[in-house]
Amino acid sequence: MVSLLSENVSHAYGFFHALKGVSLEINPGDCFALFGPNGAGKTTLMKIFATLLSPTQGQLSILGKDAVRDRDTVRASIFFVGHGSFLYDDLTAIENIEFAIGIRGRLPPLNEIKTVLDRVGIGAYASQKTRTLSAGMQKRLSLAKTILAQPELILFDEPYTALDENGVEMMHQVIRDFLARGAAVILSSHDRAKTAQIANRAGLLHHKTLKEIPLTDLQNALF
Amino acid sequence: MPFFNVIKWIVWKDLLSEIRSRETISSLFFFALNVILIFSFSFSADRDIMPILIPGLIWVAFGFTSIIGLGKSFLAETHHDCLLYLQMAPISKGAIYLGKLSGNLLLMMIVEIILFPMMILFFNLDILAKLPALLLVSFLATTGLSALGTLFSALTVQTRAREVMFPLLLLPLSVPVFIGAVESTAGVLNGQAFSFYRHWVELLFVFDMVVTITSFWVFEFILND
Repeated sequence: MVSLLSENVSHAYGFFHALKGVSLEINPGDCFALFGPNGAGKTTLMKIFATLLSPTQGQLSILGKDAVRDRDTVRASIFFVGHGSFLYDDLTAIENIEFAIGIRGRLPPLNEIKTVLDRVGIGAYASQKTRTLSAGMQKRLSLAKTILAQPELILFDEPYTALDENGVEMMHQVIRDFLARGAAVILSSHDRAKTAQIANRAGLLHHKTLKEIPLTDLQNALF
Repeated sequence: MPFFNVIKWIVWKDLLSEIRSRETISSLFFFALNVILIFSFSFSADRDIMPILIPGLIWVAFGFTSIIGLGKSFLAETHHDCLLYLQMAPISKGAIYLGKLSGNLLLMMIVEIILFPMMILFFNLDILAKLPALLLVSFLATTGLSALGTLFSALTVQTRAREVMFPLLLLPLSVPVFIGAVESTAGVLNGQAFSFYRHWVELLFVFDMVVTITSFWVFEFILND
């Protein structure tokens, strides 16, 4: 089943057109890198894929379901890692995970949470309030939530922000594991070099439309 | 039951955060205490007028304390884009509303229960026998304020003029709660039979039902659009 199918998706904020006729097909195991200059509409497109915005024109289906009509069903299978960490400052790392995953109806056992926290490199900080964690650690905690949510489509908006080299390598390993079990990943980033290490497809959002580009042209693409 | 699960998680998260930070409860408590002290010293000279004023004084203290607390209700959700996470979660948005409402109600009731003994002390009230009826009125009125406040807190939290918009929306619509609460409290404190102030209690109950059900339904649109 196709993970994401966007057919002529457009979005307008009032009279301002942010996206025009975006078409894209993402299959299980795909890691699609989304590039574009500031203001190209990357965040708008990611929000549409995350079902936070509805297209003003066109059709979007995720895992075979209409992303507008069957929004709640679609949301159970996708996970969005955005600019914000989606963390509550006064809860510990474990409590934040329990809340974020528990509210989705699946509370993982404590040992599973600790194992995942160890895997993302913040096991030693599991019982610390997240307000005491650095931005990089908070990013790793977001990644731990993503692993435990077991989504089939993962959307990363600027995933490398605040991560050190080890963090980037760990994130790439997590993405590889997602892809190996048939999930699909969409990455929106400005970092071509890092993204090229993990993506198998790439697209350039320019003049409000999306054009797929070969990965070999990534470094030469003008934006 | 996923629906009740969501309510449980929201209440758990809000209360745990509040227990750890004590940000809201301490400001509410000291605000209400100041109001009680000011009224106590202002009217202590005239013992005859006190019984007439006390229901109003109680609801000035409780009502405005509620408004301060409720205004902050959704503020924590805006830090780190947590509201976005709740929007994207495959859960009933009405359950989020009921969770936030329950958390707010619990917090307000805790503050009021702490403040009741102080009112007895400062206003020299003899209300121990009337406490169950007083708590019922307090619960109904606080539910009404929390139901409205939770809705408007969500509506205004992402607006630039949040501090202005929130009371502008909440205060006019909470007039029935204040009238019902003051009249019911006066009935209880004056030792009247329940039948004398029953219609005010019914007004509070109906208001709570209408606002909670309407807000529950509207919340889906507020969070999704």
